[in-house]
Amino acid sequence: MKKTSRLATLVLVSLPLLFGCASDSTSLMGMTRESPLEVGMTSLPEVFASSESETSFTFKAQTDELLVVFFGYTMCPDICPTSLSDFRAALRRMGSDSDRIDLAFVTVDPERDTADKLIPFLSTYATRFHAIRTTDFSQLKSVQDKFLVKSSVTTDETGYVQVTHTGTAFVVNSSGQVVSELPFGIGSDGMENDFTVLLNNIENGDK
Amino acid sequence: MKKLSITLAAVTALSLGTAACGSSSETSDTTIATAPEVATYSVDGAWARTSPMEATMGAVYLNITSTLDDALVGASVSTDIAAMTQVHETLMNADGTMGMQEIASVPMTSNTPLALAPGGYHIMLMQLVKPLAVGEIVSVTLTFASGETTIVDAVVSEEAP
Repeated sequence: MKKTSRLATLVLVSLPLLFGCASDSTSLMGMTRESPLEVGMTSLPEVFASSESETSFTFKAQTDELLVVFFGYTMCPDICPTSLSDFRAALRRMGSDSDRIDLAFVTVDPERDTADKLIPFLSTYATRFHAIRTTDFSQLKSVQDKFLVKSSVTTDETGYVQVTHTGTAFVVNSSGQVVSELPFGIGSDGMENDFTVLLNNIENGDK
Repeated sequence: MKKLSITLAAVTALSLGTAACGSSSETSDTTIATAPEVATYSVDGAWARTSPMEATMGAVYLNITSTLDDALVGASVSTDIAAMTQVHETLMNADGTMGMQEIASVPMTSNTPLALAPGGYHIMLMQLVKPLAVGEIVSVTLTFASGETTIVDAVVSEEAP
């Protein structure tokens, strides 16, 4: 396997060099781009409790809110629980401001992640969320391409299912622009910082 | 934070050089008596993250230090907890995606803490029998290249201690 380990440290150390992050407390800790990723025109099926039908979910926040998008899978023991736990911790510390943070979790392992697995899984981490699932991999890939996300699901000779996926979380505004890209390992403090800064920006008239 | 110190009598008759020399009744007056090296292992910060209701996988994290060069070669838990346990490493691939692979042996340099932490090495609990709930204790048996084992109690919590 191609590898670079100790990734959290590596990513965090390299970020300021790559993206010129400022260091004062009012600045974002996630990655930003001069030309933000535009994801607001993309949509995928949102699934609900098994008795309900699917609806189409569009990747943009509600007015004056933020949408945080994760790509992952429920059988993920390390990356996804770590990121989602950090997300939960950040929102808990934000108090009522967290009401304006929405969550979309896109499964990259849709064959195993049926609605009856996704909903309880996400309920552990958030009270407000969207479980996004499609078994049409070309449709999934077309959305991942907008986020510059990659994933794979392969089964080895022993039957073990190997899943890989981009570990970044994406903060999307109501215009459908990715306003901060949160690398794995940024931690709950980093998430809380960016959510707070971006919500303040909204209140100050920025989108 | 739990801390566990274990002193191991790591040197056996085999390493003293007598077991492979012939019949057990054979004696020798040329055996050089050397002081056996004794490894001391210290483990701290052992914890397991809570698992969501529908999750079948869990992870245990800890820091371990040995006074001797060694390697972590395996881990196990009771089948009351999980059907299978492996030592894994999370890696970043060349395309930026992250994945995991089982690790047969994690080298340990003497007196240098080995961190099993989110995003790196971890003990993966597979096919959990039931969700890991806050406050529960998961006893993990660690196996080292030396052949020694030690049991670590990991506390289940939502965040790192």
